Amino acid sequence: MTTALLDAAAAGLERGELPAGIFNDRELFELEHERIFARSWVYLAHESEIPAPGDYVVRRIVDDPFVVTRDEHGEVRALLNHCRHKGMQICRAEAGNASHFRCPYHGWTYRNDGALIGVPVQKAAYGDALDKSELGLHAIRVDSHDGLLFGTLSPDAPPLAEWLGDVRWYLDLWTKRSPAGLEVVGPPQRWVVDADWKIVGENFTGDSYHTLMTHRSMVELGQAPSDPKYAMYGEQVHIPGRGHGMMLIGAPPDAALPPFWGYPDEMRERARASYPSEEQFRVADRTRIMLGTVFPNFSAHNPIRRPHHRYEGYVPMLTFRVWNPLGPGRIEVLSWFLVERDAPEEFKQLSAWSYLRSFGVSGTFEQDDTEIWTLITRGAGTLLGRAQALNYSMGTELEVDEAWPGPGVAQAATFSDASLRNFYARWLELMCTP
Amino acid sequence: MHAVAAEEFLYHEAELLDDGRFREWLDLLTDDVRYRVPVRVTRERGESGVSAEMFHLDEDRDSLALRVDRLETGFAWAEDPPSRVRHFVTNVRPRPQGDELAVRSNLLVYRARWDRGEHDLLSGERHDVLRPGPDGLRLAARTVVLEATTLPTLNLAIFL
Repeated sequence: MTTALLDAAAAGLERGELPAGIFNDRELFELEHERIFARSWVYLAHESEIPAPGDYVVRRIVDDPFVVTRDEHGEVRALLNHCRHKGMQICRAEAGNASHFRCPYHGWTYRNDGALIGVPVQKAAYGDALDKSELGLHAIRVDSHDGLLFGTLSPDAPPLAEWLGDVRWYLDLWTKRSPAGLEVVGPPQRWVVDADWKIVGENFTGDSYHTLMTHRSMVELGQAPSDPKYAMYGEQVHIPGRGHGMMLIGAPPDAALPPFWGYPDEMRERARASYPSEEQFRVADRTRIMLGTVFPNFSAHNPIRRPHHRYEGYVPMLTFRVWNPLGPGRIEVLSWFLVERDAPEEFKQLSAWSYLRSFGVSGTFEQDDTEIWTLITRGAGTLLGRAQALNYSMGTELEVDEAWPGPGVAQAATFSDASLRNFYARWLELMCTP
Repeated sequence: MHAVAAEEFLYHEAELLDDGRFREWLDLLTDDVRYRVPVRVTRERGESGVSAEMFHLDEDRDSLALRVDRLETGFAWAEDPPSRVRHFVTNVRPRPQGDELAVRSNLLVYRARWDRGEHDLLSGERHDVLRPGPDGLRLAARTVVLEATTLPTLNLAIFL
C-alpha cells in the first residue's frame, strides 16, 4: 500500500497530482516517522520559554518526549524523558524550573544537564559495577537559529543552518525585526485535530487561494478585504531541495493598508536599523501578511489584523506552530503567540488579542480551517477516497520572478501550488531514501 | 436566595447556548464583560498550572459579538452545520461580593459533530461575576478553568 501510494505520488507530482491516501494511512505514517521525523530538524521551543538556568519545558518529536532544559551554565539540551534504569519518565510536569530530575520509581537522579548524579544505596546495590558517567539521559542534537530551538533524532542530519538554508533570509524578517528579539508570551495553546500534518503544513506554506472561501465569514464581516483576489497580491517563495516555503502577501491595489504589517512606527524604524539588509526591509515594508512552513512541521503566521471588528486601525500578530503527528491523520497543534520584546506594552496586549480572536484554537479564521482539514483527512482514509488524485497544478504556468530580491524561487502572485509541490518533492525524496 | 438566583441565571443561560440562541445570550452580558479561558499546563504540586498570561479565549463584548455575527454569515463552516452541544452546570456556589454575586460552578460541555460515533467532552470550573441590573442578573465576568491541558476538540467554535 505504501509503495503504491509513493509510486502514485512520484508519478503525479510533476503534473500536479497527489493521491489522497498519503494523508491517512497507518503504514505510510510509520514510514514518515522513520524517514521524515527521525531525520529532520524539528522545532522544539523558543529560547524565551526557558530563559533562566533550570528552566525546562517538555516537547515531543512525534511520540518521543524530551525535557528541553537550560543548565546552570546556560546551555540548552533536549533530554529523552526516559530513565536509564527502567525507562520511567523522570519528569512528569510539562514546564517548570529544576536543578535535577529524580525518577519516582527507584530514585535515580539526573542533573538538568542530563548527568546521572545519584543512585540510591549504590554501593550496597551495585558494588563497583555501575559507572554513572556512562548512564546520563539520552540527549539528542539541538541547535538554535536566532532563538528558535530545533532538535533532531538523527546523528547524520546536516547542521541546522544547512537544513534551513535560504529560508533563514525570510525567518530574519521575524527574528530580526527588533534587535531585542522575540519573546513567547505564556504557554502554547495545545489541542488535538484529526488531520494530517502535511495538509496543515502545505496550507501554511503556500495556500492563499483558500482564503476567499474558507474564511469568507470574515470577509463578510469586513475582517478581510472583499476583493476575491486579495490574497494573491504578493510573492510566493520556495526553497528548492529543502521543502520550505513562504508567502509574503501585500495589499490589493485599492486597499489603504498601512506598510510593514501595520506595526507601530517605532517598531518599523527599529527594523530598518536591525534587519541585516536593505532588501529585507524593503520586502517587509510592503508585506501585510507573511506565513510559511519550515519542513517538516514548523509554521508561522504574521498577518495584519484587528483585535475586534470595531477597532479603528490595525494590529498585527505573530504565531508559531508545530503540527506534531500523533498517528496517521492525527496531530497535536502547539500554537504560540510571540511579540517583539521591546514592543510598546499597549501594543503587546492588542497584538495578543489580534492573535486570540483570529487564530489558535478559538480563532475565527482558524476554526474553519480545522473543520476542513479534519474532513479532508477523513475522506483520505476511505477505500475510494484514498485513490482519488488531488489537484496541485495551480501556478505551473506562472513564471519565476527574476526581479525578486530574496533567495529561493519566487512567483509574483501567491495563487500557486509551486511551494506545495516543492514541499512534497522534499517529502518524497526523504520517503524514498532508505 | 442567592443560590436560587444564580442557578436560575445559569440554567437559563445554558438553555440559550444549547438552543443556539446566541443573540439572546449576548443580551445576558454586561457591556464591560470579560470572558476568559486560560491555558492550563501540568505543573508540580504547589505551582499553578493555570496561566495568567495565555488564554484559549480572552474576549470582551465586541469580540463575542463578532463571534455571534460570524455564525450568522452563512459561511462559518466550523459551526455550520452546528455541533449538538449540551452544557451541564452543577455545584453552583454563589458568594455575595458587594452588589454582585461571585459564583463558582462546575461545567461539563458535551459536543457532537457530524455523524461520527464519538463526542468531545470539556470539563471545567466557571468563576463568574453576576451583576444585578434593571432586567435581572447579567454576566459581568467569566473565567472557565478547564481540566484539559491539550484540548480534546478540533476548535473552540462554541461558547463555554
